[in-house]
Amino acid sequence: MSHSKRTLAWSAGLSMVIAAAWGAVLAAEDPAHLRHEAMETVQESFKPLRAIAVKEAPFDAAVVKKNANTILEKLKEAHGLFPEGSGGGDSRAKPEIWSDRAGFDTAMKNAQSAATNMAAVTDEAAFVPAMKALGGACKACHDKYRLPKQ
Amino acid sequence: MRLPSRRSVAAIAVLLAVAAFAFWRLTQPEPLPASAIPAHTADRANGEVLYHAGSCFACHKAAEGATNPSLPSGGTPFKTPIGVFYPQNLTPDPESGLGRWSEIDFVNAMARGLSPDGRHYFPAFPYMAFRAMRMSDLLDLRAYLMGLEPVKTQHPPHGVPQLELARRAVGLWKRMALARLPFIPESEGSDAWKRGAYLVNAPGHCGECHTPKNWLMLEDLSRHLAGGPHPGGEGKVPSLRGLLERKKYKNAADLTLALQNGEELGYEDISSGGMALIQENIAKLPEADVRAIAEYLLSQE
Repeated sequence: MSHSKRTLAWSAGLSMVIAAAWGAVLAAEDPAHLRHEAMETVQESFKPLRAIAVKEAPFDAAVVKKNANTILEKLKEAHGLFPEGSGGGDSRAKPEIWSDRAGFDTAMKNAQSAATNMAAVTDEAAFVPAMKALGGACKACHDKYRLPKQ
Repeated sequence: MRLPSRRSVAAIAVLLAVAAFAFWRLTQPEPLPASAIPAHTADRANGEVLYHAGSCFACHKAAEGATNPSLPSGGTPFKTPIGVFYPQNLTPDPESGLGRWSEIDFVNAMARGLSPDGRHYFPAFPYMAFRAMRMSDLLDLRAYLMGLEPVKTQHPPHGVPQLELARRAVGLWKRMALARLPFIPESEGSDAWKRGAYLVNAPGHCGECHTPKNWLMLEDLSRHLAGGPHPGGEGKVPSLRGLLERKKYKNAADLTLALQNGEELGYEDISSGGMALIQENIAKLPEADVRAIAEYLLSQE
């Protein structure tokens, strides 16, 4: 391989690495991607709570508190990741989020206060109502502001 | 310029007349006669089950501001690609509801897609699925609706082509569509599976959204319940096939819980694109019926 060919190969390889890294940086900063990640964590944190609600697992106040707090934190994080113009493409965000911003903010706040209430639950009797309130808040927002998934 | 001969004018007139006659004949509504109604003692409780299984309320819900929002008094705008419909008031009010509909009127609407005055309904009303319902179930459903509190309503005319000719032309589509046998899945499997198949495909009309349509606007049965574009125009309707393989649900008990509770128990896939209201209707079914729906759906690989 001649000197110039080797330089060419190196610079081609290097530019691919830079492009890939740049792509990763862009994806990491893309609010649609970030809020999706946050919501995935919310969904994961729901699973142990559902197991308690359907009596697959025993009631454990510590498990409830830990997962409710994760949900609360991730909901707050996601709420800040809906800047104007971040819909479209693969995002399931409906345009109503921005045309009815006040309604969307209220729906998000309702979910956050339901998560706060859930984190404070210490006895089994209060757990299922708290669960339904939190799930209901998620549902109300998704029904209005989220597109269905294929 | 030479004027067309008298003979060719006559020939064109005859052709037009033949075409008009053929159109008229082919689009002729064919209602069932009143003698099609068998002797039957209506079971209102069964009618209520069918009312929820069909999620009638999802489309026929009361318009905004109604005094009793839990009654199916209709009038909430229903958007479709051809325009906006204001669904029928299903309460027994004689003026605006079903009060003056006879049993055969109701059966012709559900199974033949015809209004009591013998006009074609646009298929936004899913009679293609309802025609697979048992006659006794149709009569029970009517009995349930006739026992509701009557509500008088007023809503604008449908925002769709109002030309008599357009409505009449629906008859051409129906001639083709109704020539297909009603979709009844092969009847192997447990009683629960059969019950589920009936609830999903006949009253439930799940395929109206979850089965893609072909270019003739007929359900593509080779892709039964495989998902497709959302009829409201935004987003997509998910596939109901391979729910187990794709690890959407663990088993029939899991899907039963999802249908009964929806997102209240964190089943987040079930509350977008209008599904939340459908799920609330399904949740009102007896547990055995929800379980039957779950078993049937999970068998769709």
